[in-house]
Amino acid sequence: MENKQSSSPASFVDSTVVPGDVVLDLSSMTNQTIKLGGGLRQDCDAISAMKAGTLRFSKPNKYWIESSQKRYVPCVEDTILGIVVDSKADNFLIDIKGPAMGFLPVLAFEGGTRRNIPKFEVGTLLYLRVVKANFGMNPELSCTDASGKAAEFGPLKDGYMFETSTGLSRKLLSSPTCPVLEALGKRLSFEIAVGLNGRVWVNAASPDTIVVVANAIMNSECLSGAQQIIMVNHLLKNIQ
Amino acid sequence: MEGRLANSWRLTVNDKNFIKTALLSEIRIDGRKPFEYLLIIMVIYREDGSSEVQLGQTRVMGMVTAQLVQPYRDRPKEGILSIFTEFSPMADPSFEPGRPGELAVELGRIVDRGLRESRAVDTESLCILAGKFVWAIRIDLHILDNGGNLVDAANIAALAALLTFRRPECSLGGEDGQEVIVHPPEIREPLPLTVHHLPIAISFGFFSNESILVIDPTHNEEAVMGGRMTTTVNANGDICAIQKSGGEGVPQRVIMQCLQLATSKAAGITKQIKDAVRLFSSKIVF
Repeated sequence: MENKQSSSPASFVDSTVVPGDVVLDLSSMTNQTIKLGGGLRQDCDAISAMKAGTLRFSKPNKYWIESSQKRYVPCVEDTILGIVVDSKADNFLIDIKGPAMGFLPVLAFEGGTRRNIPKFEVGTLLYLRVVKANFGMNPELSCTDASGKAAEFGPLKDGYMFETSTGLSRKLLSSPTCPVLEALGKRLSFEIAVGLNGRVWVNAASPDTIVVVANAIMNSECLSGAQQIIMVNHLLKNIQ
Repeated sequence: MEGRLANSWRLTVNDKNFIKTALLSEIRIDGRKPFEYLLIIMVIYREDGSSEVQLGQTRVMGMVTAQLVQPYRDRPKEGILSIFTEFSPMADPSFEPGRPGELAVELGRIVDRGLRESRAVDTESLCILAGKFVWAIRIDLHILDNGGNLVDAANIAALAALLTFRRPECSLGGEDGQEVIVHPPEIREPLPLTVHHLPIAISFGFFSNESILVIDPTHNEEAVMGGRMTTTVNANGDICAIQKSGGEGVPQRVIMQCLQLATSKAAGITKQIKDAVRLFSSKIVF
């Protein structure tokens, strides 16, 4: 009876888990393929949590743990903002706010060949995708989408980048649109890129718009939806 | 090598350019004006001689302790004031544990000079028996979080801690009147230090050309700015110390402007420190 409870996914989904919790039991889920995201690990038939947070489930078969922290733990298919630290013969070394440097192969660009290796000065901000995130290895990044197209990936010009917690950046990317972005978007025009590693880049025509947007987003972390809208309206009143 | 690369904090090219261009139109990234000081939040613990100061993201804890020691031979009638800084890697990954870095030494020296050269703390009243026993006051400054402008925050923390500190009362006794009796706080009320005035350190950052000047630079601005200057002034308008570091040269006119700005800010900060201390002392009476 107890066994059955721990095996039913509904029991843990959307509830708080701590490291060591066995969230899924594979022996009772044969003929099913599941995909594990960040914070989960497999030991034979048991899927257990590796960090504290909320267990999320997305149809049809994806499981991951969501939490808010300063340090980013890389996870495959995340889109992140990285800073170029160094360039080597084969890789760019990218700071991704994680425990290890990310490697961006010099050929991981649309139509990348040995002939046309891009040049990035140290400190360039890049919008990237995580391709590999294995234990004991540096995460591998790419500037293309899964089909090899550049999509929106690549260097970000101008603008301002600031750091947030990973939880806030996830909130900004959620749908329906986060109230703070909704409220700002109604009144101001700006460009934004959110990396799941807790970095946000904002660009707009005038510097004061950038400052207002950046501060509104940083302040919104602990506010409810209604409070966020009030805060944004208050900020906008001050600048106009 | 890679470990060190991962630990060091870095600023993007985008941020560097943005901070500079925004400053040209007098906008700072946290929404302040160039001459606006951040709000200071001060917490004084229940214990005497301790304080915690929050200046934006920066947090500094100050702790004052005292010990009876033999005075220096050339100054037999003066107490000893010393300052120690502790930069924990928790505050900023670029701080290395163990040996104090260049910044830690500089910070200690600026706070030390502000207090010592202006004779803010009356060291003569710390003497108990000339040549034999004086109080050695030790100020420990712990950096808890680095959000920029550590010097100002550390200086405020040191002052608040000094003001709340009380030393046990002493008297001379024994057969020859040469023995020191330290009265425990339950028997005789401990005495506060004599602090004549509060030297307030106020830092300025200079950008590419000396016409751009900001007060109380943040962590990001510190990474971009070309030079910095810390002026230590008190509420009466006396200049106690000036420390100019970083490459950029500054003309006399700008220094005068900085001093005027600093004097105007110092009064407000002095009042804030005194209010916090008064609130604390009114609490412990009851």
